[in-house]
Amino acid sequence: MAKKVVVDPITRIEGHLKIEVEVENGKVKDAWSSGTMARGFEAMLTGKDPRDASYITSRFCGVCYSVHQLASARALDAAFGAQVPWGGNLIRNLVMGAEYIYDHVLHFYQLSALDYIDIMAVANYKGKDKELLAVKDKIVGLVKAKDTYPLTPRYAPDEFTVKDPDLVISAVNHYLKALKMHAKARNMGAIWGGRTPHYQNIVVGGVTSYPDLNQWARFRTMLDEQKKFIEEVYIPDVLTFGKGPLWPLAKMGVGGGHYNYLSYGDFPKDSAGKDLVFPAGVIIGLDPANIKVDPVDTKKITESVKYAWYKAKNPVHPYDGEQVYDLDKKGAYTFVKAPRYDGKAMEVGPFARMIVAKNPDVIGLVKEGAKPGAVARHAARAIETKLIADACYVWLDQLLTEMTKPGFKIHDTAHWDPPESGMGAGFHEAPRGGLGHWIKIKDKKIENYQAVVPSTWNASPRCENGVRGQYEESLIGAPVPDPENPINVGRIIRSFDPCLACAIHIIDPQTNEIRKFLIE
Amino acid sequence: MKEKDVVSKDLVRELKAHGINRRDFLKYCAATAAVLGLSEFEFTSGVVHALEKPTSGKPAVMWIEGQACAGCTIALTQVSYPPIASVILDKISIRYDHTIMAATGHVAEKAYEDIVKQGGYILIAEGATPGADDRFHMGGGMPFRKRLEESAKNSTAVLAVGACSAFGGIPRACPTKGMGVSDVLKKAGINKPVINISTCPVHPDHLIGTILYVLVTGKLPELDSKGRPAMYFGEVSMHDNCRRRAHFDAGEFLKDWNDPKQKNWCLFEKGCKGPVSYIDCTVRRWNDGISFCLDCGGVCQACGEPVFYDKVTPLYTAENEISKKIWAMRGKSISKKTA
Repeated sequence: MAKKVVVDPITRIEGHLKIEVEVENGKVKDAWSSGTMARGFEAMLTGKDPRDASYITSRFCGVCYSVHQLASARALDAAFGAQVPWGGNLIRNLVMGAEYIYDHVLHFYQLSALDYIDIMAVANYKGKDKELLAVKDKIVGLVKAKDTYPLTPRYAPDEFTVKDPDLVISAVNHYLKALKMHAKARNMGAIWGGRTPHYQNIVVGGVTSYPDLNQWARFRTMLDEQKKFIEEVYIPDVLTFGKGPLWPLAKMGVGGGHYNYLSYGDFPKDSAGKDLVFPAGVIIGLDPANIKVDPVDTKKITESVKYAWYKAKNPVHPYDGEQVYDLDKKGAYTFVKAPRYDGKAMEVGPFARMIVAKNPDVIGLVKEGAKPGAVARHAARAIETKLIADACYVWLDQLLTEMTKPGFKIHDTAHWDPPESGMGAGFHEAPRGGLGHWIKIKDKKIENYQAVVPSTWNASPRCENGVRGQYEESLIGAPVPDPENPINVGRIIRSFDPCLACAIHIIDPQTNEIRKFLIE
Repeated sequence: MKEKDVVSKDLVRELKAHGINRRDFLKYCAATAAVLGLSEFEFTSGVVHALEKPTSGKPAVMWIEGQACAGCTIALTQVSYPPIASVILDKISIRYDHTIMAATGHVAEKAYEDIVKQGGYILIAEGATPGADDRFHMGGGMPFRKRLEESAKNSTAVLAVGACSAFGGIPRACPTKGMGVSDVLKKAGINKPVINISTCPVHPDHLIGTILYVLVTGKLPELDSKGRPAMYFGEVSMHDNCRRRAHFDAGEFLKDWNDPKQKNWCLFEKGCKGPVSYIDCTVRRWNDGISFCLDCGGVCQACGEPVFYDKVTPLYTAENEISKKIWAMRGKSISKKTA
């Protein structure tokens, strides 16, 4: 007999998400993903000065802040005809690099780790390491003081929960260190971004922050510390857990989903723009033994609103959408729309990027027997954090060369004022995955604005054909032996790093074809 | 020591709800206690009380999130002095905060119900409340509006953090018609002190400073006319402490971000609303003093003022009513005491 289990709210994510699963014989038989909060930023932007968009859309999300600022600025660049100078792009890359490092570290330690460790096991630590004994004292102190919030209450640990005191105490120690490290990573971004969350320096045409050498040196020094943490703490922790106690979960491929992956590609390594840190590509029905990557054609993107609280409409390309709220719609269960690529539900994010890139470390894990799923997502996220940190060094070197040249530029001032009319799309590979913004301008004002964000792809509901979204599909077959304690549901959903505030929009009618934005 | 002496019926029910049976729980406690060198009873009752009623003496705090981007939550984790880990584990007892708490689903909601029932906590509210229709924000099966109202009722004070929670912010301009906390509580007839710690997002110093003030003095800080802590807001315009101020008076306005000569000129023509912004960013700065909006060549949009966002748009020009007002201020000090 199937039992419906509702997990609402899903905590330790950005935003408001409800997951419903039907459990039969200890496994998830069916699943529904619901975004439960809406603001309606895009509809509000209609009629505004187009330059407002990058400032406002940054506030889609305060965890993955400024990813929208960048995608939006790129859409505006295309619509205004602005050519961002390489110096401006380097600074955009560097502040986004800092954002990546902070965001991935926060996700692993603060948002996910508590799903996998029994924090109370630190009490059993028998070692002599002074630093770890201090952690033990801290946690035991909380227990003795009879106040272990916010570490408890929690779902009961299960057979996959790591209980080895040495592993757990080291993870808790790193949890506390990570709090400092990602605050410092945000400070690194603030050197040119001005402040966090929500940078202030990314605008149409480039950036506003004219760099000096002191800032350059400060960024580089702070990056050294971050790189050390990534290489000596973050990646080893993910591998120790992933290839150790969590290997059974990795081998089972819990949280796999549709095995369809999309990366728009991003982060040029040089001004020619050919060599990207994250290559673009589409994989349909991944076969790990023979990975076939196709080029991305954004014309193949459609969005369905059949199961979302918007006025009914057939699936269309984002540019042709006509979605208006309908809170009374029968059968609807979410504010998230259902984007599809060539009719397929896709996964975006670190695993999608790394498998599209055929990253040797990720392929290596797959060859060792890890199936795509929750654990593999954490591994891909750690691996790409190092790629971004390494790229930051390359960009810093180039910036140093550029900024000491006469006539160094960070902004296309000639294209600062909005055009009479225009349209453009901007893409960005945000930490959570592929992100697209589309804008139409009429009479120097925004006529229409739309974003299709990573969590819209991943958290989408069913579409016309009944195809589940990636969260929903990834839950099918997940072990839930005790419906009162659906710990695997949390593990799977959090492995995507959900960000719901930005996944939810209102769109006004618009008709026109997309002008593809090309990364310079 | 017999089991029944340390494990109350309430706890047994609680454990069951959490998927733990009593025998496993006691076995776990005994094993842990042995390692700790504590008597079995001591550790067992320690954990028992942790689940029943904390007596650590740390003030209880609840953080709820409405129509928000979680930027203020991230700002909380930016707190450096005292270190954020120490804030979370030593200074306050965070009973509910859906971004950091271990609990999820019904376990989280049970924690919410427990703390509301217990009362006497500081409520921190992030994000707006949809005024157009409750269904624009549901969570844990209830409208956010209801969660805000019932949790405010039993709190000692409410900190409305960030522009959205203080005055409605950007969501106020949206079709879902976001409302600030004060307006929601006023509409519901709930009379609780509300401290508006505006700016988008909240400044980590403003947030932790206000919390520390309440904890240290046991009182609420003095507020300005907009309900904001007077120690950070209300008296001095950003303009009067702006290092670009002399260029405003001299009529030197930045036109080209590429020109190193213009780097420190006034950003008025790029849409800066600093003169109507009565916040201490120019002296406090952000991110441990590393920078702030005006230092990276970005503009101030008065994000801590009730005019944000609908009255400050367009953001990047000097053509709206506020900009005209600012232009008329040339040559004057505009801080409130001297205006």
